[in-house]
Amino acid sequence: MSKLGQVVEAIEKYNKFVLDQVKRARTDEQFGRELLGRWNDIKAKTPVTHTPTGLPLPRLALPEIDEPGEIARYLFDEGLPGEFPFLNGAYREMYLEPVREIEAGSYGRKTSANGAKGKANGDGARPPEEPTRLFSGLMLAEDTNERFHYLTQHQRTQRLSTAFDGPTLYGIDSDADGVFGKVGEGGVAIDTVEDMVRLYDGFDLGSPNFSASMTISGPASIIMAMYIAAAKRRFGPKVVPKLRGTIQADIFKEVQAQNETIFPIEASLRFLTDMVEFTTHEMPRWYPISISGYHIGEAGSTPVQQAAYTLSNGFAYAEMFAARGIPVDQFGPRLSFFLDCGLDAEYIALARVSRRIWAIGMRDAFGAGPRGQLFKLHTQTSGRSLIAAEFKNNLTRTAAELMLAYMNATNSCHSNSADEPFTTPSEEWIRLAAHGQAILLEESGIFKHTMNMLSGSPGMKAVERAVEAAILDEFREIERLGGVLAAVEDRYQRSQIQNAAHRYEQQIYEGIRTIIGLNKYRNGEDDAPEIKLARTPRKKQQLQVDRLAKFKKTNADKAKRTLDKLVAVVDRGENCFPALLEAVEVCSLGQITGRLQEVVGRFRPMV
Amino acid sequence: MPAPIRILTAVPICDGHDSAINTINLEFIRHGIEVIYLGYHRSVGDIVRAALQEDVRAIGVSSYNGGHVEFFAEVVDLLRKRGASDIKVFGGGGGTITHDDAAAMKRKGVDTIFFAGTSLTEMVDYVRKNYGKPREKRPRPKSFDQELAHKLSEIEEAAGKSRKHRTSKIKHRTSKVIGFTGPGGAGKTTLIDELVLRFLNQNPKGRIAILSHDPSVIGEGALLGDRATMINSQDDRVFMRSMATRGQAGGLSPATHDCLALLAESNFDYVIIETVGTGQEAMPFQKNGIVDLTVLVMNPDYGSRLQLQKIVMLDLANIVVVNKSDLQRARTAHTEIEQRLEQNRRDQQLIDTVAKRHRDPGVDDLFDVISMVGRDRRAPRRRGRENL
Repeated sequence: MSKLGQVVEAIEKYNKFVLDQVKRARTDEQFGRELLGRWNDIKAKTPVTHTPTGLPLPRLALPEIDEPGEIARYLFDEGLPGEFPFLNGAYREMYLEPVREIEAGSYGRKTSANGAKGKANGDGARPPEEPTRLFSGLMLAEDTNERFHYLTQHQRTQRLSTAFDGPTLYGIDSDADGVFGKVGEGGVAIDTVEDMVRLYDGFDLGSPNFSASMTISGPASIIMAMYIAAAKRRFGPKVVPKLRGTIQADIFKEVQAQNETIFPIEASLRFLTDMVEFTTHEMPRWYPISISGYHIGEAGSTPVQQAAYTLSNGFAYAEMFAARGIPVDQFGPRLSFFLDCGLDAEYIALARVSRRIWAIGMRDAFGAGPRGQLFKLHTQTSGRSLIAAEFKNNLTRTAAELMLAYMNATNSCHSNSADEPFTTPSEEWIRLAAHGQAILLEESGIFKHTMNMLSGSPGMKAVERAVEAAILDEFREIERLGGVLAAVEDRYQRSQIQNAAHRYEQQIYEGIRTIIGLNKYRNGEDDAPEIKLARTPRKKQQLQVDRLAKFKKTNADKAKRTLDKLVAVVDRGENCFPALLEAVEVCSLGQITGRLQEVVGRFRPMV
Repeated sequence: MPAPIRILTAVPICDGHDSAINTINLEFIRHGIEVIYLGYHRSVGDIVRAALQEDVRAIGVSSYNGGHVEFFAEVVDLLRKRGASDIKVFGGGGGTITHDDAAAMKRKGVDTIFFAGTSLTEMVDYVRKNYGKPREKRPRPKSFDQELAHKLSEIEEAAGKSRKHRTSKIKHRTSKVIGFTGPGGAGKTTLIDELVLRFLNQNPKGRIAILSHDPSVIGEGALLGDRATMINSQDDRVFMRSMATRGQAGGLSPATHDCLALLAESNFDYVIIETVGTGQEAMPFQKNGIVDLTVLVMNPDYGSRLQLQKIVMLDLANIVVVNKSDLQRARTAHTEIEQRLEQNRRDQQLIDTVAKRHRDPGVDDLFDVISMVGRDRRAPRRRGRENL
């Protein structure tokens, strides 16, 4: 049995445990009394807050139950926000406004001397972070750097999120055959450590107020090595343990859905584990993987498939890292998740259920402590749900999806721009998308006064039960196929996703699935936003190619030697990350991937 | 009935968005179109080479990652440069391609761009209407490969009208011909691609041809997808042609024999022919006296030991490969097949491979054995001819 089988057993066992506790609460009087006592205590200690209109509300809403069995069911099956199994939230207060601010009736500045600053975060060393993390990357490193500085100029904390161009995502250089037109398109072009130095120039990479996110998976370990090398060039070797940020590095979802895989699966997983082993040891503040269902959802999966494949991928990574000998309490808290949120009914509780399954699985199948049980989630609204026809309807779609994402207590969220079906979002529509979040969280009273404001309706409960059962069925099927890796190699997830995508299109075509403006209530007018295309000028593309040529020429001899050393390490089966750190000093991304592919092969696409 | 329309579909380099094209491919084949699918992350060079060799009527490009104006134009330009302007280009990219972009692309020679919301039916109708008419006079081929591709099309079209196009007598046989067959899913395509990689590395000037078969769906078209997985075979030194069986049973197409004969006299070092996944009774190369060496690729999961007695190719193949020999069942499979081959008392070889593994020693062995046949080529071919 793979770990996934054990996870299934753990969930079944836990669900049975809940029922046993319910029964016990009803038969064992003393236990029942204890529960009732605890319940009343929780309610009594919950502070009351006042809305701007003067309505008193508890900061934590709880079901109106007083029967010990039902209390047991609630506490064990769902848990309070921030308590195992975390159905209602990974943290206790999530989006709530700090207490004293509300009591003081001041809604603006958070700098008043009330102690709220720093407290919400639970980490006194750094100020509370804004949830804002805008994904950006364009043209060359210096252009993106300028954009980074512009985006963070008024922020206390600098949270950068880096998008790479196509050649970088596929691990090839800007001078590779036939990619010239793609250099700097849709993301930043990175070929060498020198580009990496330019990219984050002017930012204090070792500061607790800085974190960098890098959305790249295929060549993730090489890009990670370049980031570390760039940081060392600027701040010396002592900066390494202070580096904070995230790199996506999710190989399974690439093979299942997104198709940015460059090495064969096993080699990719080995490079990933090499990197994770290094970062968990040397860079304790770094998130070396972001386990992503978003791309699975966008490729057309059903919501249940999305959650099931993402969670099972996560458990498979955990199994791999544990097998390498990395302690679960070291890597567990460094795992994070990324899900899609669309408009199907499942999304009412998809992330809630995922959080519960992850917590039980990590605790009971992997023996993780509390920090390793948390399903830390970033959500993005569904890009696939947005359409070109009558595109302004996309604002409503995104708003509804945001509502669902927050009802699921996501830890952070990205809302899509309505003009996404056409192009890289323009400023006008980005503002509307970002303000959509602010309106829900800050302007409306839906999420800021009371935790559990919309949790636990009978309908939500019904969705939770159905979704959990369906996810477990998927787990059983994957286990039957020999576990995640075997199923991936068998194209199981990939075929399921493609099948679902086809069905989705068919449903739209047949009118079974309503899409307003497309197959219903069409006004027939073709409205499109005025699009200013942000294209990379040829001159810039040429500049990138020229300086890459210079880098290669300067380092030619050393490059050959370090690459020989790198492949020797790879061949011997040792952790190759330290050798990668040396290689990036003198080799380009394409030189390294090219040489590694000679040794481990290229990824053979699955069709 | 007119011959099916053959088109090529692909997703541009540095773009992995294959969800739309997968759906569209299925819709095309459901309506009688033969689709050669090249896969995602494909360069202009790969796309044009494949289109030329496959001699398709049109190329459909599905682009979602930007840079489409340049990319489509490069495809059109390279086709023109190679003398293949009769291969048309169309495509789409949801909302990522604006109306202005599309206008610019059309000015540069693209036939049409499908916008977001275009129904699958509209796309099928467009392809049938615009690429379904018989070809007019062909332009003079500009290269050896193009000429070969045109001739193969003539053979295939003639076979469709059940006319014998040419005699199958080979005049100047110049290539060694190796036939690969075996059940579906045994890994024939991957194995061939790995052999091609070894060939290209060891013969800096050598050329190789591949004739690959995929089944036609009854009453429908065919999805010819081998190119998408054959990453090493997308090379100027490899000439590859994908054929649909078009209603013929047994793993090959009505035109295979003549196509193979033509390739065998076209100066390739090797011509590799791959059948569709075959059943137990199949003996696809029986009538093709052209094949020098046959390789049966087996999956360790063939069922009970008795099943082996029924597999005709086990009597006929020169080499039997047990691929996926990393599977648990592979050791038993090796022993059982070995015993089965001993009954034949012929000089047959049994080799275990894991084709999906890079630098697999089993594939190295197979490559060596095949290369050895070349060293004293005449003898085995003459001897083998009665059997093959």
